[in-house]
Parts: sequence; C-alpha cells; structure tokens
Amino acid sequence: RNWDDEEDEGDDVDDTDDIDPDAEYAAWKLRELKRIKREREAIEEREKEIEEIERRKNLTEEERK
Amino acid sequence: MQHLRAIGQTGEVRRATAEDVHDRITMIWEKIIDEKRADVKTLGERLEVRKM
Amino acid sequence: MAHHRADEKRFMDERGSSGPLAPNGLNPATIMEKPVRERIIDSYFWKDQCFAVNEADIINRVVDHVNFIGGTYGDAQRPSPFLCLAFKLLQLAPSDDILREYLEFGGEKFKYLRALALFYIRLTRQAKDVYKMLEPYLEDRRKLKRRTRIGTSLTFMDQFADDLLTKDRVCATTLWKMPKRELLEDLDVLEPRVSPLGDIEDLLESDPEVVEGNNG
Repeated sequence: RNWDDEEDEGDDVDDTDDIDPDAEYAAWKLRELKRIKREREAIEEREKEIEEIERRKNLTEEERK
Repeated sequence: MQHLRAIGQTGEVRRATAEDVHDRITMIWEKIIDEKRADVKTLGERLEVRKM
Repeated sequence: MAHHRADEKRFMDERGSSGPLAPNGLNPATIMEKPVRERIIDSYFWKDQCFAVNEADIINRVVDHVNFIGGTYGDAQRPSPFLCLAFKLLQLAPSDDILREYLEFGGEKFKYLRALALFYIRLTRQAKDVYKMLEPYLEDRRKLKRRTRIGTSLTFMDQFADDLLTKDRVCATTLWKMPKRELLEDLDVLEPRVSPLGDIEDLLESDPEVVEGNNG
C-alpha cells in the first residue's frame, strides 16, 4: 500500500474549500491581478523593444547618408 | 469469455464514450452523497441514543 | 475493441512512433521523460491501479486515490498517483468530448479530476486549444495540495492553470514550448483574454494599491 501512506507523513496541508469564502475570494483576486499586471508588463516590454529596433534602424539610415 | 472480456480479464478494455464518462461521474457523485447522508443519519441516531 | 495489453506493450516501447500522435504533433509515449516513465511503470500504484482501466474507470481512480498534485515525491522520488494517471491518459488518448466531461461536469465535483485534465491537455493539445481550454479555470480558486521532493504545500486551481500556461516544467514533466499568447493574438488565432475581474484600467483607477502594493 505504498501509495496510500499520505496520512502519516506530517500532512499539515488542508485543501478543504469554502472555509472562509471571502478570504479565499480576496486571495484569488490578488493572484488574478498579479497575472494581469504581468501580462501588461510583458506587452509594454515588447512595445519598447520594437521601438528600440525602429530607433536603431533609423540611426543606421542616418549614418549611411 | 464474453464476461471475462467485459471485465478486462482478457487484456482487452472497452473504450468509454463521453456518455459513459458522464454517467460514471454521476454514479460516483451520487454514491458519495448517499454515503454522506448515511453518515449524517448515523450521527443523528447516535445523538438520539445519547438523549435517552 | 482496443487490445489493451498489446497497446500497452507498444506504448511502452520507445519505438511507439507507430502509434497515433497527439494533436500537438508529439508522440504521447515520449512526452514524459524516460526516467520518469520507468519509475511510473515500476510503481505499485501503476501495476495495481492502472491496468485495464478505461476513460471512465480513471475517474474512480482519481476520486479514490488522488489527493494531491505532483510529479515524483519523497526521497525515493516515487511517482504520484496524479502522474501515473496522467501517463495512463497519454496511453488512452481521450477525445475532446471526454476531456470536456472531465473538466466541466466532473471537474466541478472533483477538483483533482479537473487538475488532471488540465495537465493532460497542456501536454497534448495545440497551443490555441491549450489557451482556450485552460484559461477559463484561471477563475477556479479551489485549493489543491501539491507534493514535491521537498514537501507538501498548498496551491490553487487558477495557480496550477497559470503554471501550465507560463512555466517550463510542471509535475516532473518538461512542457513543450508553446507560442506566446500575444503572438497568437497578433495572428488572429486568439482574442485577447478578458479577466473575470473586467477591465484592468477600471481596476487600476478604483484601487491602485491592490495591484501596485503586492509585488510578490
């Protein structure tokens, strides 16, 4: 029965839901906001990169003259 | 032989359809609900006994 | 009709290239790494609980035996029942209809069934379908127990879905490299994701600290 030994190994993690629904919702909301923020930052980062590429391209064109 | 096949003893397993899967979910869920109900009932009975 | 035993042998066989590929073009027999596959096949749980199991029986196994997500755990690096059943799914190759039952009807009742389906979909489906099928569960805040080599911790369904969408390695398995969401949006394959919280600009205006104040 070596897959059924969960109980004895200091199992202090409780995965029961809806113990405190408000707190659980608030914690979820925070995680979701962090995800949205991360996505926004990724988009901004990408836009900056594109701008930088454009800028360099223009520079070399200037230099060529 | 037919029976053995049905329970997988021949090494053959019948593939399940989405409907089979749906029905199995219902079955397992109802069994769990019934067991919970039975637990509540026995708890109720025990409380009854204690009152006496 | 499927000859399970013969299939299993063929599946375990490295040359499993004869079998059908997953929708994302990968060979399901080699999606998990070899040492992990060997540990699974050697495990008691695999031998005792994963033989002659079909797409419906697997639900009983999940409900009875899966109470945490994880890859291999403990000093012995034992494969979790979760991982063994994911390997079984790779073998069974359930259809999208069945996966929808696991995710929705079944997943509402049994959270570890939903988690298993999310993991399996990430391993086998095309990028656009992975995003479409996984993202709705960024809203599922139910708790999940996770077990690793170091110990047991708490995570959440939304967090697990997010890990599957953004991380390289989950549950002892290297996830195939998906194109980024933005790229699929640029190609008009995907619409931008709308958070259940609504428009981020509104949120920022109403409550900036919530977003700014918690940088992890």
